[in-house]
Amino acid sequence: MKRKIILLLLILLMSCSCSKETTRELNVLNWTSYIPDEVIHDFEKQYNIKVNYGTYSSNEELLAKISSSKEGTYDLIFPSDYMIEVMKQRGLIDKLDKSKLTNYSNINPLFLNQEYDQYNEYSLPFLMATTLLAINTENIHDNITGYNDLLNPEYQNNIVLLDDQRIVIGAALQSFGYNMNDFSDEHLEDAYEFLMNLKKNVKAFDSDSPKTFLISKEVDIGLVWNAEGILAREENPNIQLVYPKEGYALSMDNYVLVKNGHNQDNAYLFIDYLLQDDVAQKIIDEYPYISTNKNISNLSDTELNSILKNGSYVTNSEINGENGIRKFDKLWARIK
Amino acid sequence: MNRKKAFQIIVTLPVVVYSLLLILIPIVYVLFLSFLKSDSFGGIEYQFTLENYLMIFDIIYIKILLKSFIIGLLTTFICICISYPFSIFLMDKSETKRNLLIKLVMIPFLTNSLIRTYGWIVLLRKSGVVNTTLSSLNLIDKPLNLMYNNLGIIIGMVYTLLPFMILPVYSAVSKIDARVIDAAKDLGANKIKRFIHIIVPETLAGVFNGSLMVFIPAIGYFFISDILGGGKIMIVGNLIKNQFLTARNWPFGAAISIFLIVFTFLLIRIYKKIGGKLDELGGL
Repeated sequence: MKRKIILLLLILLMSCSCSKETTRELNVLNWTSYIPDEVIHDFEKQYNIKVNYGTYSSNEELLAKISSSKEGTYDLIFPSDYMIEVMKQRGLIDKLDKSKLTNYSNINPLFLNQEYDQYNEYSLPFLMATTLLAINTENIHDNITGYNDLLNPEYQNNIVLLDDQRIVIGAALQSFGYNMNDFSDEHLEDAYEFLMNLKKNVKAFDSDSPKTFLISKEVDIGLVWNAEGILAREENPNIQLVYPKEGYALSMDNYVLVKNGHNQDNAYLFIDYLLQDDVAQKIIDEYPYISTNKNISNLSDTELNSILKNGSYVTNSEINGENGIRKFDKLWARIK
Repeated sequence: MNRKKAFQIIVTLPVVVYSLLLILIPIVYVLFLSFLKSDSFGGIEYQFTLENYLMIFDIIYIKILLKSFIIGLLTTFICICISYPFSIFLMDKSETKRNLLIKLVMIPFLTNSLIRTYGWIVLLRKSGVVNTTLSSLNLIDKPLNLMYNNLGIIIGMVYTLLPFMILPVYSAVSKIDARVIDAAKDLGANKIKRFIHIIVPETLAGVFNGSLMVFIPAIGYFFISDILGGGKIMIVGNLIKNQFLTARNWPFGAAISIFLIVFTFLLIRIYKKIGGKLDELGGL
């Protein structure tokens, strides 16, 4: 009997073993809604490389996918700033060789050498997002300039916030003039008070599509990613976008090579392709984040400089050994 | 070896392999994980600890558990309140009608529950079908807040889980001998007395069965509280999801999951104690 079972299992195993692929491939994992399908098809045609394109919707999901899959499953990923540090520590990513990129010089040097990867050893910037306030001026006539203005009791049930603890608690910290990565108990307690007050005005927390709340006029105020705000404004020109005066979050998504990917050469080709001016233009036409390409940006360097200066990145406060993320998570549970 | 026996083993093998691979091993892994330490980068340290279980008893998490239980109990209660009249209504219908009505209860199951939940947004939002209808009838002058609050969550939970209550309650009610009810009628019992003294005791096991199948998912369906509650209310399901996805604290998430599994087993024990049969739990 036992033998028969073993035989059966062997047959099962054998039928699973895969045949060798001869076509050129590239395995990419990227954020949902980030690169238009057209761009990928064009690349596939031009280089005769098949792109297996998977998506994720949070850095943590990406981390889970990379750390639980076999080495070589993925070649190219697009983690945000703070996640690069985590992945580096856990030995999940490879260094980048910039000399393999002919279009490297298209990257605006303003975005290079940021705090999360000091010399861009592991990453090169792809797109930048910032949070901002989107305000429907049809119904809101007050001049809203920052987070403290949102506490106005007239806005009851009229605000949508990103469903992201680091962003929202960060905004609360910034409203007191603290750093958004500050996790001292005292300051977090202030943030808690602020958010409990703000919660009365919050209709919903949503990260998937907060613009829908603004477009359908479910709410008149939103703390959203810049591209969401711009897309909402395209639908409703009365929507005004404001960078909060107390500061806001920056998020840079980067090209990063997964450790021992089988198709790293193809990954370089793809990065180089995305660095081309016309391709970068196509991307921000569809998803209006801030491009890192210096030739196509519609913002001047002074504007970009001020955006970089007044915003801050979410950092991995855990590296300070005080379990910052745990504290944020606990506070989040308390607020909800 | 006996050929019949070999045949039996081969036929049951896929089920055994399936349950081992996809049910038992993951649960054992989660159990194992729940006793480990998490490192600061979201990895796992292979070091035994009970810390994760102790953390559940932090007042913040106890509050979330309580909130979830209240939502679960309310959902269960409303489902019972709908299922009884529906089942009693079906009792004296012809078989064709009964089958048709039960099928209508099942039909929504053919669509993904996430999509059905999104459908409720179209109905309940400020400019949704319900509010526009009510205001065009001049019944309200300001749109009602039907969702992005507790009400929205309860509506979504009841809607999604109702069939799990209707089916066992209906099956219990339909097993009641019609002659017993006739006898009660002859002896002068009115509708309420018949309900309290005959229908309720006879169907208690069915109701408890349905309550298990409604209550347990209701404390875990995080997508309903996310979509219809506007992400403002955290139930246990959200808490577990956050531990795996944002807080990167897998062991704590695993410990809450195990806590819920143990809790479920306790409920099933109570169910067995009051005379319920495990076979009738079907889904569990």
